[in-house]
Amino acid sequence: MSDRIGELINSRIDAIKAGQSIYSVGKVTRVANYILEVAGLEDVFYFERVYIGNKGEGYVSHIGRSSVTVELVKRAASIYVGDEVTSSGKMFSAMASPDFVGHIVDIFGEDKLTGNKFRELAEIPAVSPNVPIMDRRTVKKPLYTGLCGIDLLYPIGKGQRQLIIGDKKTGKTQIGLDAIANQRGQGVICIYVALGKSKKTVKGVYNELLARGAMSYTVIMAAFQEDCAPMLYITPQVALSLALAYMQQKRDVLVIMDDLTQHANTYREISLLAGKAPGRDAYPPDIFYTHASMLELGCQHKNGGSITILPIVETRGGDITDYIATNIISITDGQIVTSSKSFEKGQKPAINFGLSVSRLGGQVQIPAMKALGTSIKRELLSYLETKEIFELANIDEMSAEMRDKLTRGKEMLERMKQYRFDPMTPDGMAERFGKFAEAPETPAPAESVK
Amino acid sequence: MSNINETKIGKIISVSNLSVQVLLDRSEVSMRSCMCAYLNGKRVSFEVAGVNGGIAQAIPLSSVNGLKKGMDVFALPRGIEIEYSDNILGKVFNSYGELIDGGVIENPVTRNVYEKNLALSEIDIDGDVLWTGIKALDFFAPMQKGFKMGMLGGAGVGKTVLIKELINNVYRGWGSNSVFAGIGERSREGKELYDEMMEAGLMDKLAVVFGQMGESSMARSRAAYAGLTLAEFLRDERRQDVLLFIDNIYRFVQANSEISAEIGNMPIESGYSTTLLSDVSEVEERVNSTGQGSITSFQAVFIPADDITDMAVNTIMSHLDGQIVLSRKVAEKGIYPAVDVFSTTSKLLTIEGVGERHFRLAEKSVATLARYQELEEVVAVLGVDELSEEDMNIFYRARKLRNYFSQPFFVSEQFTGIEGQFVKIEDVLDDVEAILTGKYDSVDESHFLFVGKVPEVKQTAIF
Repeated sequence: MSDRIGELINSRIDAIKAGQSIYSVGKVTRVANYILEVAGLEDVFYFERVYIGNKGEGYVSHIGRSSVTVELVKRAASIYVGDEVTSSGKMFSAMASPDFVGHIVDIFGEDKLTGNKFRELAEIPAVSPNVPIMDRRTVKKPLYTGLCGIDLLYPIGKGQRQLIIGDKKTGKTQIGLDAIANQRGQGVICIYVALGKSKKTVKGVYNELLARGAMSYTVIMAAFQEDCAPMLYITPQVALSLALAYMQQKRDVLVIMDDLTQHANTYREISLLAGKAPGRDAYPPDIFYTHASMLELGCQHKNGGSITILPIVETRGGDITDYIATNIISITDGQIVTSSKSFEKGQKPAINFGLSVSRLGGQVQIPAMKALGTSIKRELLSYLETKEIFELANIDEMSAEMRDKLTRGKEMLERMKQYRFDPMTPDGMAERFGKFAEAPETPAPAESVK
Repeated sequence: MSNINETKIGKIISVSNLSVQVLLDRSEVSMRSCMCAYLNGKRVSFEVAGVNGGIAQAIPLSSVNGLKKGMDVFALPRGIEIEYSDNILGKVFNSYGELIDGGVIENPVTRNVYEKNLALSEIDIDGDVLWTGIKALDFFAPMQKGFKMGMLGGAGVGKTVLIKELINNVYRGWGSNSVFAGIGERSREGKELYDEMMEAGLMDKLAVVFGQMGESSMARSRAAYAGLTLAEFLRDERRQDVLLFIDNIYRFVQANSEISAEIGNMPIESGYSTTLLSDVSEVEERVNSTGQGSITSFQAVFIPADDITDMAVNTIMSHLDGQIVLSRKVAEKGIYPAVDVFSTTSKLLTIEGVGERHFRLAEKSVATLARYQELEEVVAVLGVDELSEEDMNIFYRARKLRNYFSQPFFVSEQFTGIEGQFVKIEDVLDDVEAILTGKYDSVDESHFLFVGKVPEVKQTAIF
């Protein structure tokens, strides 16, 4: 009997000794908020998942000659120097479930409203590789947002990346939510990625979407400000892995990223804390690549599925030419610029028609919408420019041609107004703007009088 | 796992996102040679960026996820090579010279992508004028065979559309072969360009290299070298006048600064790599013409944060023979191509280069538009009626001129709904002269927007 107990004890001791081998176990030697330096862990590989007892988990972000750097994604309790770190032998990954639809979730597969884990969870890669260039197809199927200013003038196609950019409180998120709500019955899966938003805001978004029956095809993936920064950093990438999984099942997916300014700032924080050299505006030198590698996952796949991404960027003082903004503008296929001036004047959605761009244009519109859209866009832009120059001119002294241009422009702008969650169908738009279809003075070559 | 004739030369001792350090068994590795490790049977390669004693600093060509300390490293002394032969036309390569369109190259010659430098005596700088059919370009920044023309612009002002229009206008009528290097730009655009060229049956004269923005820093940096190597093959061995389209050369610099920071070099202003000047010159000096063949290149240059004084942009500019600057202010007004005529120039815009009439008209146009800018402020405050008669003429003629330099592009018919126009330089000169001398004073300015040459129009009064 005692022999047997002795054997058991010995085998346990051996196991513990083996467990303490410097190869798979290490000790925390430095804690800088969520960045840990770990001695030991000689056998870990880059981006391996590691555990700090049951106090937290993270991934290996640097393997040095004598130590390893770990970035914490989850921290359940305070971590101290000397805490034990164990490796998992597996790549850091996220958890996903087909039951995510209809819920607010995080990358660990937890339902944030109930605090429970989903039952049917499968691992998905935290960071997905790029979609090969030869597997892509032309973006040409329309994805309707239900907003005239977008569907007619700056249309979005399935597989397009269209940035929504503007100051605080100009209705950026609302454009994204309108787009989600308008996908009802379209067979599109929507993923709303909330980055560093307050809990109140996320709950609000959930309630709005629920009330409009939009949660039945929507996943809200959230990382809150209180979560570790690396969690916030990696959440949009996980959301895209999830989108990719749906796309591989030939589904159309719409991803709203709210917002990437927050993401850039978080990544800057991590990078500076990790002691990396800062680049322009103290952002890490690979900030462009970080965003590009994510947004490049948006595409029309040759199998028929697609990922459409609407990232949101917040500007200050209406300046869309700062570093992060121009980076993302140069990645995306166009931008919807929202302006506080229009918003204050009641021109909602507050789209700045001069600065907004679609690089795909009519390629993603049905012919009727394209014809109507291009003629309205040309006339509207010309009106806005003329208005600016002739703001002070006396309207009565103008030529009839000019006067007509100004009245028509004004009416056109008026008809662009739409209340939140009040989508229009393409037919409705055609009706509303039908009278503008034939411009009286198209700048196209006029008939000769000779 | 490894190839039998690969020799083991060391072990990995450190890994981070863009750098791998290797403890060498012996120190016989040279800069820019390659090394590799095997991860579950898959080769992961790195390029040597420096050797310090027994430790080599290397840059991985792809993701380092999964690499660990202690892994065996093997030598690939030949570095990044590209295979080529007459078969390259119609093919698509990645940055490391591998075909990604499922094709094969028969009887290839292999060459390292770095080894090429022209001696001063080999370089030929004479060439014929090359008309692009784009009014603003031909008029303000005429192009010459063998030139390096930059298309500079901030995000979303139309660089790529301009490049595509140039491919359409110049490449179609071009007798010899061309190379397109897609560096750090959108995969979607790259693939659409390829599809359009295939559909139009135009791929037979074109070789394409893609190292797009979703790929690693190293892939984006090396795409420039792969593209150059192909262009040089056509120039030197096929003795052709090659067109080289690069979209976008700024991304090459950007990728290098990502690498530089990660391997611990001190950054210079705005975080650019320490070797910015030499990196750019290494690439740009290879874009040259010899007596046997020429490389004429159109290069898109991204302007980060709309800052034209940016160090990288200026470094690239100093290598260019001409530049077309696209401005957000013009784009905002709905005028495309959004050319900023004040900073758009070409070495060819001289009386010797384009003739006296063209030169004088260009000068006069710029002066008129410059005065317009001043008047615009006056008008915004006081209204048009307060201008003197002379200024009023300038004001209205300048607006017509500005509108006139917009142009419907063949490649952007889906945005404008108007058919593209190729405009002959003679027509441009006639039209500009007519606008400046007041022949069209009674024609409404809207008739000049998005047209080719000025159409016959109704003479209507505007005020």
